[in-house]
Amino acid sequence: MTQRRAAFLRTTAFRQTLLSAALFALSSFVILGFVYAASAGMVVRRADAVVNDEVQVLNDRFQSGGIDNIRLYILQRTVGGGDYLYLLIHPSGRTLGNLSFLPDVQPDEEGRVQFTYRRPPAGGVDDDSEKEDRIVRGQIVELPSGYRLFVGLDVDDETRLISRMLNTILAASALALALGVAAGIFVSRRFVRRLDKINNVARRVRAGDLQPRAPRNYTGDELDELSENFNNMLDRVEALMHRMRHTGDSIAHDLRTPLTRMRNRLDEALREDGDLDAREQALERAVADTDELLGIFNAILSLSRLEAGESRASIVRLDPAEIAADMAELYEPVCEDDGLSFASEIQPGLAMLGDRGLLSQALANILDNAVKYTPAGGAVTLRLRETGEGMIEFSVTDTGPGIPDVDRERVVQRFVRLDNSRSQPGSGLGLSLVQAIADVHNGRFELNEGPGVVADGHGPGLRASLCFPKAPREAG
Amino acid sequence: MRILIVEDDREAASYIRKGLRESGHVADHAGDGEEGLEMARAADYDVLVVDRMMPRMDGLSMVETLRGEEDRTPVLILSALGEVDDRVEGLKAGGDDYLVKPYAFAELLARVEALARRRDPETVRTKLVVGDLEMDLLARTVVRDGEEILLQPREFRLLEFLMKHSGQVVTRTMLLEKVWDYHFDPQTNVIDVHISRLRSKIDKPFPRALLHTVRGAGYRLQA
Repeated sequence: MTQRRAAFLRTTAFRQTLLSAALFALSSFVILGFVYAASAGMVVRRADAVVNDEVQVLNDRFQSGGIDNIRLYILQRTVGGGDYLYLLIHPSGRTLGNLSFLPDVQPDEEGRVQFTYRRPPAGGVDDDSEKEDRIVRGQIVELPSGYRLFVGLDVDDETRLISRMLNTILAASALALALGVAAGIFVSRRFVRRLDKINNVARRVRAGDLQPRAPRNYTGDELDELSENFNNMLDRVEALMHRMRHTGDSIAHDLRTPLTRMRNRLDEALREDGDLDAREQALERAVADTDELLGIFNAILSLSRLEAGESRASIVRLDPAEIAADMAELYEPVCEDDGLSFASEIQPGLAMLGDRGLLSQALANILDNAVKYTPAGGAVTLRLRETGEGMIEFSVTDTGPGIPDVDRERVVQRFVRLDNSRSQPGSGLGLSLVQAIADVHNGRFELNEGPGVVADGHGPGLRASLCFPKAPREAG
Repeated sequence: MRILIVEDDREAASYIRKGLRESGHVADHAGDGEEGLEMARAADYDVLVVDRMMPRMDGLSMVETLRGEEDRTPVLILSALGEVDDRVEGLKAGGDDYLVKPYAFAELLARVEALARRRDPETVRTKLVVGDLEMDLLARTVVRDGEEILLQPREFRLLEFLMKHSGQVVTRTMLLEKVWDYHFDPQTNVIDVHISRLRSKIDKPFPRALLHTVRGAGYRLQA
């Protein structure tokens, strides 16, 4: 538990929040501190200016009426109270004014002094309890004939206000910091809790359970996005695992049949004591079985390499018409031999990026299927054209049984063979290979209903199409 | 013919060796690239059969070294890899032909014999003759027993290849590679269909057949 508690302190969220809280507190401290310094300075400057003016007035009085005039002025000024403080000190020590004595303070360079005095309360002179210490700021003037005059202004209210302001500033900064830390703890604990859930899922998956998924709150925030990506990754891993298992099972299943057949033939050959011809025949068939097995292995290998992107296909700029024409030339006699009519419609002058060998192989696989599944009397057509969307499309149509809508996606998967084709030779990898080749070329492989007419054992047929992007215009 | 097999897999080597001897050839064996290089330098072989993956020195390095020494002995490279790029690499290194394991022995034999034939001084031949069948490579005409036979361009190339290797077995895979330049196996017997078309043109109207099917191996054109 202590480990858990320490965990959120180490989280990035907590550190980030803490850092921004500290920055906020610091900056508010600096800004308010500046305001404080400016206000305090303003109070001092105002007091100094006011005192200056008053000193000026007193000076004028002294010039015009001597010391008595000052006495009169001070008496007049101190009758009604007020913020002004005066103290006239006779060389003998006698004083006049509303300040009882002048404390022993050193004036600064400009002759200003600041000290606290005790103001008598408004009620009565003897009421000691109500007396308060207040701050006065003023100036000491040496008058001729040994008189000293102090003129000051009570700045206590302003100073108190400002010092209260300072306290408020400090308190506010401390509060901001404290709130920041609290928010940091809150946010990071939430963060840690959500992260823990994702980590738990990862741990369970690592332990072998592919079912759990990270919880999502669908707000689209970072963690939600992480969960989404994480879940998508798990879906993909699960699909791959599933496919691998399926492939493994399929390989075992598909290889068992020819292997069993081969074993039986070899066994039979061993028992054919006298009949050399029969033995030779059995052996030859066993070799043919082996070749079939090897063919399946080769197809699996090619497919894996293509899908892994390992086979760096030699992609070059080429004319698809040449590939189509070569394929038409290769398959036309095959179709005729099987009683199928063959036609090709090839649009010249197109250019695409591709690997001739791979593209030919894809077309050959499709044409092989067309020949294999179309009953005699049917038609096979190979077309090459530019589509409306500016893609290059190879298509092979036949008038065979076609592939039911629901199975079209499935047949492209590895080892998937539809029930009615199980009797035919084949590995169930042909169309997977076509799909992989289309992928390598950034192309699209699609199966659709063909042009066939359902009658006399003929089906709707199949239209297999391979679409590829056109090559960009040649530079130069 | 004297053939050197450079192959680290003893069992595979003895399988090839036995087969070649049964076909009337002399076959030696080297267990790795370095030994193969020494033996190829020491004796004059007609064909080298070199495995690609070997300890000490791999097949491609060995062939490259030989080619660097101006040794032009035809080389058939054997490989368990079998992807297009691998074949291109093999041929770039100086190999003359490329065969992917596993293969039928007939396929290997046909290719070895075809390679040995290539060694004959490459005189520019403008005319190929097998029995009463004649091919004019310049005029692109084929005549049998004085009668001109019209062939499609591909049929012409197919017949040309067969005539250049007359008396030898050529396999379906060889034809697909050399005549069509395809390096994959179509499931349907496309080659058989094309051969039978050619046969109907060059053999059918005549009393004696020249184009023979060799069971379990391929075809042979022979007078």
